[in-house]
Amino acid sequence: MSAIAAKAGADAGAFQPVPSIIALVLAIIVIAVGFVLGVGQTLCLIVLGAALIAFGVHFVPVGGAPAAMGQAPGIATGVPMLAAGAGLAGLFGGAWAAELGLAVALAGGAIGGALMMAITCLMVNMSYVFGMGIPPASGKIEKDPLTGYTQPEFKSQGTEGHGLPFISYVGGVIGGLLGGLGGTLIYLELLAFYEAVMPAADAVGLAGILAVAMFLVIAVLAAYNITGTIEGPHDPKFKRFPRAIIAAILASALCGILALLLMVLA
Amino acid sequence: MQEIIIGIGVTALAGALAAVAGAAEDTESNIGSQGDPNSQVQLAPQMGYTHRIYNKAVSGEPPAYTLWVTLACGVAWAFLMMGMNAILAIVLGTVLATIVQGVYATTAYLGRTASLSKFGQPVFTDVLKSVTTVTMGHAFVAIFTTVVICYLLATVIGHPFSLPLLGIVWGLALGAAGSATGNPYYGKERQYQNQKFGAGVPISASGNIVRYAEAGQRSSIDNGFFTAKFGGPASGLCFGLIVFFELWRTVLFEHYLAGWGAVIAGAVIIIIFMVIDRYVEKWARENYGPYTEA
Repeated sequence: MSAIAAKAGADAGAFQPVPSIIALVLAIIVIAVGFVLGVGQTLCLIVLGAALIAFGVHFVPVGGAPAAMGQAPGIATGVPMLAAGAGLAGLFGGAWAAELGLAVALAGGAIGGALMMAITCLMVNMSYVFGMGIPPASGKIEKDPLTGYTQPEFKSQGTEGHGLPFISYVGGVIGGLLGGLGGTLIYLELLAFYEAVMPAADAVGLAGILAVAMFLVIAVLAAYNITGTIEGPHDPKFKRFPRAIIAAILASALCGILALLLMVLA
Repeated sequence: MQEIIIGIGVTALAGALAAVAGAAEDTESNIGSQGDPNSQVQLAPQMGYTHRIYNKAVSGEPPAYTLWVTLACGVAWAFLMMGMNAILAIVLGTVLATIVQGVYATTAYLGRTASLSKFGQPVFTDVLKSVTTVTMGHAFVAIFTTVVICYLLATVIGHPFSLPLLGIVWGLALGAAGSATGNPYYGKERQYQNQKFGAGVPISASGNIVRYAEAGQRSSIDNGFFTAKFGGPASGLCFGLIVFFELWRTVLFEHYLAGWGAVIAGAVIIIIFMVIDRYVEKWARENYGPYTEA
């Protein structure tokens, strides 16, 4: 079944209070355990980084397989992979600037992720416009809220749109910004924690690999919430983000406490 | 000053290597038919269109290239730690990663194509023999150039990440850039050359990919020949720009305003790209016009 055929049910994206409350209670218990072990503050910031990543993934316009045939708007690749590509490019910049202080490193990570998305999204539109003669058009909205461009008449027959209208482009840049920021925050918190107990070179390696791993966990979780494709902040699926943030809080609390316990128990 | 000049040189070299890597990655994935457009290669026999197109979607391009580049970086790093010459270590790492790519390509083609036997799709052993080595050749170029970038970042620029960790970051970015830019050109423009130019493929046409060439049946190698004229260079430009600007803004501007210089330079570059994108969209709407009346 293609991503287009897999239409979500009427309430597939609806907020479900009972599982959400259970997830939040479990996350609070894990964080409380973290405070008992003396790693609570670090754990809280890791959870914050994960929440930023989960929120950011929802901004990234991803069209998957239908976008590769010009059948749907977005970037023609998978949600978690594109988000991870941007987030890790941000992490690269943030890690590089780590010695310049927390604020510069966080900003460097955010800008690194946004820069990767800005270039990728531009090349996607260049490819559609100059390689295939197709103008960008959204399938989810009548009018681009940023440019005021009407969309339906620029959608070719039998498709749900194609390319990246400007709102999707901006969404991609914001997604990269939040992903890079969240990934760098997780990395810096883990790095500060590990540097206190092991040689700097080992701490960088361990913090780096765990930050990458945590990024992938959160990006995949958010992708499950999106189910297939999303056009960006104007897509109705964007409203599902609170559910992904709650899931990310629980998942990152668990992953985070395990990453920190490596050292507390060692 | 000397540090900045060396940094600029490495930035230029890394940008150029990244452009080659992106172009080779996209051409490799199109010849082997990996990534999202392969959904149509897999779908075609189910719709009654048997073909001789290679079918090796091991996984999405980003995780596949993460694996191959990281593997090459890891092996090269181990050899470097043993005191081996850097070029030899990188070549040996890349050779091993390319062999792994070849094994994955072979098992993916056999497995995926055999699963279509109930729809009458044969497994062509001559396709396996002729195409696998071509994808491996392109994969070698893509992996080698990316590992060299990672090596330059780890040793000359002095990035804190170790070589394998840089392999994860830039392998994933390579696959993401290559698949984002190159996939539509292979998926829409090449697989559906029988559809109208300047419009997306109607959903009702899904699976009806072009299967015949000027003489005989279409070969996957011809797909690489076609996409190497636009999709490949565009992917190369995309990955090249990402690597170049990421390094350039840091190398040149990190020394200003206690590090904020690099952040501001990055923000300015992003705004410039946004303006260019806005112009491209405006140009397309003005020149191509609407398909139908609103």
